[in-house]
Amino acid sequence: MSSFARKVKKIKELSPSIQVSEEKGCIVLRGEADSWDTIVKAGRLAVDRKKYYGVINDIRLKGFTQKVKLPAEQDSLYDGAKPDVLIIGGGLTGCAAARELSRYNLDIMLVEKGADVAAGQSSRNGGAVHVGINYSPSSQKNYYNHRGNAMYTKLSKELDFPFERTGHLMLIGAAWEKILIQILLLNARRLNIRGARYLTRQELLKVEPYAPSWAYGALYMPTGGFTSPYKVNVALAENAVTNGVKICLNTAVTGMETKGGKIQAVKTNRGTIYPKIVINASGVYADVIADMAGDRTFTIHPRKGTDIILDKKVGKYIRTTEVKSPITVLGNGKKLHSSERVKMIKFALSHENTSKGIAVIHTVDKNMILGPDVQEIPDREDTTTDRESTNRILTEQMKVAEKVSPADVIAYFAGVRSPTYEEDFQVRKGIFCKNILEAAGIQSPGATAAPAIGRQLAIWTVKYLRETQKVEKNPNFNPIRKGTPHLSEMSEEERNELIKKNPDYGEIVCRCEEVSKGEILDVLNSPLPVYTLDAVKRRCRPGMGRCQGGFCSPLVVQILAEARGCSVDEIKKSGKNSDILLGSTKEALK
Amino acid sequence: MIYDVTVIGGGPAGLAAALQADKEGAKVLLIEREQRLGGILKQCIHDGFGLVTFGERLSGPEYCERFIDQILDSGVERKLLTFVTKIVKTDNGFLIYYVNRSGASHIRTKTIVLATGCRERTAKQVFIHGTRPSGIFTAGTAQHYVNLMGKMPARRCVILGSGDIGLIMARRLTLEGAEVLGVYEIKPTPSGLTRNIQQCLRDFDIPLYLSHTVTRVFGDERLTAVEVMKVDQHMQPIPGTEEIIECDSLILSVGLIPENELAESLHVPIDRKTKGPVCDQQYMTETEGVYCAGNALHVNDLVDYVTENALAAGKNSAHYEKKERVRIPVEAGSDISYVVPERLDLKEPLEHVTVYFRAAKEMKNVNLMIRIGDNVIFKKRYSVVRPPEMERLNIDFSEFSLQKNQKVEFFLEKESSEGREHE
Ligand SMILES: Cc1cc2nc3c(=O)[nH]c(=O)nc-3n(C[C@H](O)[C@H](O)[C@H](O)COP(=O)(O)OP(=O)(O)OC[C@H]3O[C@@H](n4cnc5c(N)ncnc54)[C@H](O)[C@@H]3O)c2cc1C
Ligand SMILES: Cc1cc2nc3c(=O)[nH]c(=O)nc-3n(C[C@H](O)[C@H](O)[C@H](O)COP(=O)(O)OP(=O)(O)OC[C@H]3O[C@@H](n4cnc5c(N)ncnc54)[C@H](O)[C@@H]3O)c2cc1C
Repeated sequence: MSSFARKVKKIKELSPSIQVSEEKGCIVLRGEADSWDTIVKAGRLAVDRKKYYGVINDIRLKGFTQKVKLPAEQDSLYDGAKPDVLIIGGGLTGCAAARELSRYNLDIMLVEKGADVAAGQSSRNGGAVHVGINYSPSSQKNYYNHRGNAMYTKLSKELDFPFERTGHLMLIGAAWEKILIQILLLNARRLNIRGARYLTRQELLKVEPYAPSWAYGALYMPTGGFTSPYKVNVALAENAVTNGVKICLNTAVTGMETKGGKIQAVKTNRGTIYPKIVINASGVYADVIADMAGDRTFTIHPRKGTDIILDKKVGKYIRTTEVKSPITVLGNGKKLHSSERVKMIKFALSHENTSKGIAVIHTVDKNMILGPDVQEIPDREDTTTDRESTNRILTEQMKVAEKVSPADVIAYFAGVRSPTYEEDFQVRKGIFCKNILEAAGIQSPGATAAPAIGRQLAIWTVKYLRETQKVEKNPNFNPIRKGTPHLSEMSEEERNELIKKNPDYGEIVCRCEEVSKGEILDVLNSPLPVYTLDAVKRRCRPGMGRCQGGFCSPLVVQILAEARGCSVDEIKKSGKNSDILLGSTKEALK
Repeated sequence: MIYDVTVIGGGPAGLAAALQADKEGAKVLLIEREQRLGGILKQCIHDGFGLVTFGERLSGPEYCERFIDQILDSGVERKLLTFVTKIVKTDNGFLIYYVNRSGASHIRTKTIVLATGCRERTAKQVFIHGTRPSGIFTAGTAQHYVNLMGKMPARRCVILGSGDIGLIMARRLTLEGAEVLGVYEIKPTPSGLTRNIQQCLRDFDIPLYLSHTVTRVFGDERLTAVEVMKVDQHMQPIPGTEEIIECDSLILSVGLIPENELAESLHVPIDRKTKGPVCDQQYMTETEGVYCAGNALHVNDLVDYVTENALAAGKNSAHYEKKERVRIPVEAGSDISYVVPERLDLKEPLEHVTVYFRAAKEMKNVNLMIRIGDNVIFKKRYSVVRPPEMERLNIDFSEFSLQKNQKVEFFLEKESSEGREHE
């Protein structure tokens, strides 16, 4: 039996109504199924990295149609624009590419359908800068993660965003589990990951004084780090804008016109754009956008993850990231039979184990994060949270973060990752379309990898454009972006000096996070000002703390309205229809 | 220069404490984060304040105006629009760091009265799930928009939690023409005062659903609907009871938490139940020279009690001296959720100790008992006790020759025979 026939057989066993075919170098699945689980399983079974570009899984889920969240704006603001480059997606990948491209004298446009940059995964992740110790050496994940991780130190200095390299830990509960660490250390050597080593319990307690009582030892990876992903995203975007990139928010790509294997026009809700080359950095919609260009060779299957944010009070209990090793079973795991042990190790190292273990994560804002978990879902934009997930994460992770209780929870959120069935990044030039670059399948560790992916995309773009035009360096390129000051982190003298220059820095608006009016006004004077509650909250934290904006949101609304010169009624939480206020009271009307 | 007393927070608690400390001859500084004194009462324009203190039904602003007027005539120094960022203990007192529009600076003080009030519990703290739309407000935030800014945060709303502020907002929003679809309370009994249930809900035909909670919210941009469910006796949602209610806003009145970040930064021990600092009958916390008053100490349902306790805290802080203390615990026993103060200092006067307590559940015909060792030293009958209604007692503890290693326990006991027939 051919390998294709074997695949067909297995998939048909799952559901006989699924049709399988080979088309344009891809394996294509069609039909309809009752459960999302079946569809994901079929997609996984179809994978053959050597033989196909990828899996195109078009099996429909009965009763489900994707509802795409589109901006409410409908106008012709950008109609007729003819940029050299059009980047679709203002996440980390798109903004990293934009910034890299702004090193050249090019007309660059970035469209983002959300009301702010970082509208997708890039604002909904834990901000771990990953080590990638378990990646296969030939994977793109390994290639870009390794490079991206290394770029973070310099990037954080240039762009003035928080970054700490305090290392990551994988904890084990018993002596025999050291074998997994040894295997991973071998891989670390192959991948050229520096400094990784085994720590005994005593050594572990020096790195992480509140390590759980059951921890026997740990794998320590000092190159692991932490950042604030939306701050990185905003920093990249602001620096790109400073260097000439045009960022168009509330702008969604809805279609393309192609001719002769080339994109001629890109349609948006704000007019048609005529770029020379397109970069597809659209996250969970990467396959949909690739399809518009006739270049689809992969399928994104949305994978939700929920993260729980805990009060700063417990932030001190974690300095790194702690993950329980996948073979550590707490409580009754001591007496495992050796065959079971082998099975567990094999699984831990296999590709089927796509989920990184849920972690306890230190954050640069001194909170603690628990999560994220893993849930395959049909809806690409379903960022809802549910009780079951948060309960599960809490119960599980309180075994690792032993000092934490549910009362420490201040917020939680969910993000949707964008994996392909091959589970690897698809960073490539167009195969069936000449003027598109794909940055697809950028799931975890995409926040880490984004700077390196952006660099690669820029190199290819310039090369493509140089075939037909001269592309010079941007003589005015400034790699430095200065963030707005955070006064609560300063000494009394520094703070005093700033307040003397600008008294607004002395007026505290958000008491939980100690944010002043001056800091809020600063972010509104930045290169990419966004006059919404959410945007201000992400950039300088009012409302991020334990009261979640109870005290300060009315004040922030007033500051926003004053700065923009509009009525408070016009200030939104995020998108055009996310009103906060619904008019005046009767008395006020009198 | 060193202040005798620095009061942090200019709400009713801080105002009373500062005034009293001044009257006792202390050099007093009052620090308030906002531009105006009055604290949360600035936005409480309904009446009902001051029945105990002034024998009148005042509005919140009127109530605090009476104190503010006195403050302006007193020797109390004021720093407004000033935020305390940090407190550091020194050998003879404290350094209080603050910022305001003139800069970042610090002052020295012998004692501190923490009167920072409380904050509201949020949607996340009661584990509401679903999307993240606009249109979800805590009742206090909604009150700010309506009463201080003249703006409507809601047109068609559901209220979660039957706390007093939620009840008051139900009435306020109704009067402003909004539709209040109902108040949903997870517990089998309301959390707000009985008078508020009557005056804010019943009088306006607003339904109150007990043993119900909001489990999910819908809407990508603005809230479009909420899901409510019935809960069982363990307050867990009962599957199959889901009901979707279309609305544009959800207003939460799910509890207040004393604001004690400053206390915690000083490592002042916190009572797990009140969430405020553990204190003695002088309202001094377990940290020498640090006093606490008002909602920062425990959440009061009547501002009159806030004033009462703050006046005492202010007075005591003015007369503070460092000395040896013999503190014994005052504990909340069966069916009592908390007792304030949590300690008695046997070296301080014990004659007129004001005790505040709350019952853990609604009970009829009960006796409050106070026990020292095996001896019940005090007994008082209540025809009904309810968790939302704080009880207040004045007790002379000097009669009982309390000893160092003893403890005082408060508990409730059902009345044995006669009481039964009334149930
Ligand atoms: C729960 C969770 C935890 C994670 N944790 C980590 C971690 O700890 N470390 C790490 O390295 N990585 C982590 N990741 C992965 C990381 O967040 C992503 O890989 C990375 O953010 C991907 O960036 P992106 O720019 O490619 O995609 P996105 O951030 O999703 O950006 C795509 C953008 O395209 C826009 N868009 C989509 N369609 C259109 C259209 N038609 N027109 C215009 N715009 C459009 C979207 O609105 C979106 O803003 C995590 C992911 C999740 C979900
Ligand atoms: C929304 C709401 C509605 C209420 N409605 C009623 C009612 O109808 N009837 C009734 O009897 N009681 C009501 N109460 C309760 C009553 O108002 C309170 O008991 C009383 O206001 C508490 O007084 P306080 O001084 O302790 O706190 P607050 O009035 O809250 O004052 C605390 C003050 O401290 C300041 N502060 C906090 N942190 C700092 C810092 N770091 N530096 C400087 N200043 C700081 C704050 O700005 C605030 O002004 C309500 C409470 C709330 C929260």
